[in-house]
Amino acid sequence: MSYKCSRCKRDVELDEYGGVRCPYCGHRVLLKERARTVKEVDVE
Amino acid sequence: MTNEFDVEIIERDDRSALFVVRGLTPAFANGIRRAMVADVPTFSIDTVRFVENSSVMFDEMIGLRLGLVPLTTPLDDFEVGETVTLALDVEGPATAYSGDIETSVPEVVPADENIPIIELKENQRLEFEADAVLESGKVHAKQQGGVAVGYRHLQRIEVVGDAPEFDEQEPNILRGVIETEDGELVVTDEFDNDLTQRYPGKEVEVVDVPDTFVFDVETDGSFTVDELVLRAIESIDARAAELEEKVSV
Repeated sequence: MSYKCSRCKRDVELDEYGGVRCPYCGHRVLLKERARTVKEVDVE
Repeated sequence: MTNEFDVEIIERDDRSALFVVRGLTPAFANGIRRAMVADVPTFSIDTVRFVENSSVMFDEMIGLRLGLVPLTTPLDDFEVGETVTLALDVEGPATAYSGDIETSVPEVVPADENIPIIELKENQRLEFEADAVLESGKVHAKQQGGVAVGYRHLQRIEVVGDAPEFDEQEPNILRGVIETEDGELVVTDEFDNDLTQRYPGKEVEVVDVPDTFVFDVETDGSFTVDELVLRAIESIDARAAELEEKVSV
């Protein structure tokens, strides 16, 4: 899962042991980025 | 039903028409209307593959807006169910318009170039590839070619006498087309839709002309009105022929 730290704006990789915290600055607010894959949407 | 139809065209444009048909039953008039709405297929965007969407709207909302963009449809060259690929790539600050959509087939393009899809600010970008599919209005309202199709009885105006001298005349509003006593067809716009302006000081009676209908037809730009009406009638014809064949076996 890739996130972005809201304070230092760096990419953060989270694992199941580290808890929700930026390893570079310790900030606890992380933002989830949009996936870079192509997304297919059906128009209904 | 051996009487002949008598068609009189009153107004005719590329995208809209007003015409009177005599010798129709109400059921058949409604059949034509329904065929124009539901049976004439048009292209419209059905699946969208978003490469990038950093705009403020969700992919699904942009998809819905794209579905409603009318695309020109050469009905002779395509079968129902065929698809055409379209693409768009706009970077902000700018507004993405339907005219920015590029197509793989030059005959299938947005019918209007000035439909806004979304306004993009600095650093926002919209890039997608979409498939438009040819389907009829039965499948989805976005596939309708006729968008404002209606009919009403032709109304005949008969002057029955003079209005009482000191009465204040109330406006008598009618819309569409009227037939005067000498058989002339007049569009009500000409007298501001108000009968008291055309017949000042007269008392008039409005009667429906039996089996005569005024059709008001408008397309979304996918094709001309002529094509819409003719294709609708062809579809009724084809279904009647199919029924005849099935019944006689």
